[in-house]
Amino acid sequence: MSKKFSAVLVLFVVFTLVISACQSAPAATTAATQAAATEAASATTAAATESTAPVTLRFTVWTGNEAHLAMLKEIADAYTALHPNVTVQYDTIDFDDYVSKVTIQLAGGTPPDAGWLMETAAPSFVQAGVLADLKPALTSYPDYDFADLSAPTLKLWESGDSLYGVPFSNSPIFLVYNKDLFTNAGVQSPADLIASNEWTWDNFSKISKELTDKGPAGTYGFVGFDSAMFTTQPWSTLVPAIWAYGGNTWSEDGKTCMINQPEAVKAIQMFHDMTFVDKSIVPAGEKTVFASGTVGMTLAQLSRLTQLKDAGFSYGIAPLPAGPAGTPSVIGQAAIVVFDKSPNKAIAEDFVAFMTTKDNFAKMAAFFPPTRISTLDSGVLAQNNPNLDPAQVEAAITNSIKNGSVLPSHVNFAKIDLAMRAQFDNLWTADADVQKVLDAACSDTSALFN
Amino acid sequence: METNPVLQNTFPAKINKPAKQRRSRTKLIDALWGYLFIAPQFIGFLVFVLGPTIAIFVYSFMEKNLLSGKTEFVGLNNYITLFTKDALFPKVLGNTLIFTAGLVPINLILALVLAILLARSSFVNNFFRTVFFAPVVTSSVAWVIVWSFMLQGNSGTINQVLQVFGIKGPNWLLDPGWAMFWVIITRVLKNVGLNMVLFLAALQDMPREHLEAAKVDGANTWNLFWNIYLPFLAPTILLVTVITVIGSLNVFDHILLLTGGGPSNSTMVLSYYVYFTAFKVNETGYASAIAVVLFLIALGLTTVQWSMRKKFSYNEN
Repeated sequence: MSKKFSAVLVLFVVFTLVISACQSAPAATTAATQAAATEAASATTAAATESTAPVTLRFTVWTGNEAHLAMLKEIADAYTALHPNVTVQYDTIDFDDYVSKVTIQLAGGTPPDAGWLMETAAPSFVQAGVLADLKPALTSYPDYDFADLSAPTLKLWESGDSLYGVPFSNSPIFLVYNKDLFTNAGVQSPADLIASNEWTWDNFSKISKELTDKGPAGTYGFVGFDSAMFTTQPWSTLVPAIWAYGGNTWSEDGKTCMINQPEAVKAIQMFHDMTFVDKSIVPAGEKTVFASGTVGMTLAQLSRLTQLKDAGFSYGIAPLPAGPAGTPSVIGQAAIVVFDKSPNKAIAEDFVAFMTTKDNFAKMAAFFPPTRISTLDSGVLAQNNPNLDPAQVEAAITNSIKNGSVLPSHVNFAKIDLAMRAQFDNLWTADADVQKVLDAACSDTSALFN
Repeated sequence: METNPVLQNTFPAKINKPAKQRRSRTKLIDALWGYLFIAPQFIGFLVFVLGPTIAIFVYSFMEKNLLSGKTEFVGLNNYITLFTKDALFPKVLGNTLIFTAGLVPINLILALVLAILLARSSFVNNFFRTVFFAPVVTSSVAWVIVWSFMLQGNSGTINQVLQVFGIKGPNWLLDPGWAMFWVIITRVLKNVGLNMVLFLAALQDMPREHLEAAKVDGANTWNLFWNIYLPFLAPTILLVTVITVIGSLNVFDHILLLTGGGPSNSTMVLSYYVYFTAFKVNETGYASAIAVVLFLIALGLTTVQWSMRKKFSYNEN
């Protein structure tokens, strides 16, 4: 009997090995068949949209905000009106886990059909070959006007002649400030400094300290972008300052780590002093947010302003402060992509084309600064944000889009981000040697930059 | 050839086989029924436990990217990289050692002391048994969320209590030194109840005469503990140690929720490193190699402990 048992066991081991080998074989041919598949897909686009079998498209997003989802649902319902057999279901996945969860869904055989993708994940997803080429579907969509999509914004999503994502949000990072807190404490607000042409990072840290000292107990001058400066999203807070000081996180070609260079070190040292010397930044671990009304300033993008709808204070927006190297504007970009493994690829591509037509772009522009030139010039941004001063919208947002660069991305961004964030934990302690920690960050990631 | 003349006359020749053949055929039928009954469990084990475990060994010799699906056979490269070029691995090993070496003794000693204190059944004792066992059945997520609020810097419960004594506590979970300490303590408090129950069960069988005889002979508490309780409980202690060691090597959800491996990777243990490498860095082949190392460590520790049982078991025959 034991011989039989071992025979069964051996049989099963062989079975498992065969299964695992079979699973890897199709993956190796993905790249080869992708070219053929996209051609076939575009040829069948017209045919697919005519079929009447009920289809549910799964579209992943990272927003749980009700206003955003209502707007997205409007677009989905309009599409269903045109194609009654297609319904679109939006899946919200938390921003911090978004790339990881979408990756697992793709690897696990339950791929979403389409979804959002952030700029930092663009290089790795494009290179991995998991996104569908949208160009054929877009250029063949009636009244699309492909040339209306701002060419510079497409750079991250292009590879050769293919376009793997349609950027729908080109959102500059700007400063939001609590007007009431500054007025009540008698401290100069960013608006005052802008008026007197003194809106610099130095003065930013000065008024931050003043507000912390003069404001009521528990007031802070500044909290990082999405209150996640010390944890999961350091880049959105640090990069504006690093660029203004003339530095960068890494070189444009992605081959050199630059976060330990003098310019970047100066910028990060400023935040370090603000946190531990001035104590004007909400410390790590404390869950105070800007919307609570006890913080003077924060960095944000347009889509975050919906959180302040019911805020009990009046707020204003301002462009980023100037540094020794000027005022480069920092843009966070997100695109709509279709996943190559989607079982409803052709229909998903058609929906994405529909979603990015002029009319629907105008709807999305309520929260997401558009990448369509015509939409940007139509003033829809100011229209959709009536509680903001149009001049501030122009200065902080519209102008920044035209002159800005997208947040740094890299084909190895996921690994670089994780390795550097582990070092940044050492950075945010009172006695940290900023230069040493940043040197360690570069040496930890040296293998990823070349 | 044995034949039963009665059977030969009563039944057709086909059934009237020699007794030996009849016996082996019955045995075979019995055996088949046996296999049939255990088949569901066994097939489940093969498919969901043994199969994936063997697959992990196979994958550890490959480079598999989770996102692009690219698979490439690389032989021992993953292991070579792990032991020579991975800067994080020594730290992870050290963290795992600290975590296990910290958790197991504290857990065992606390469970043993609690069990001995609560050995006799009384209203108060039963109440405290429930209190200490309650965390075991509490959801891990709820447990960690409450603790993360209690360990906050300025408004956390722990620091507010310390403030009464004039001590200003740091932001515990963001301090690389203290984070591991609290991970261990919160994990011990969650699971000590289970080990306590196991010791309580063992203590129920403790023969009272030995205790009474020792007391008559003038043994103090320490003598009682060292010379009576411990030797009697030795097999149970061994079992609990083995379970706790293996359990501590597998702790994952607790660390994921409480510290996420940080700060500065100070709480990144092997099990978390496997998850991190597979699903954050997207390298499932490399992660499989790490998982194999973890498996071998657990196997090694278990073997060492198991071979020590002869030395410490006074009760096992």
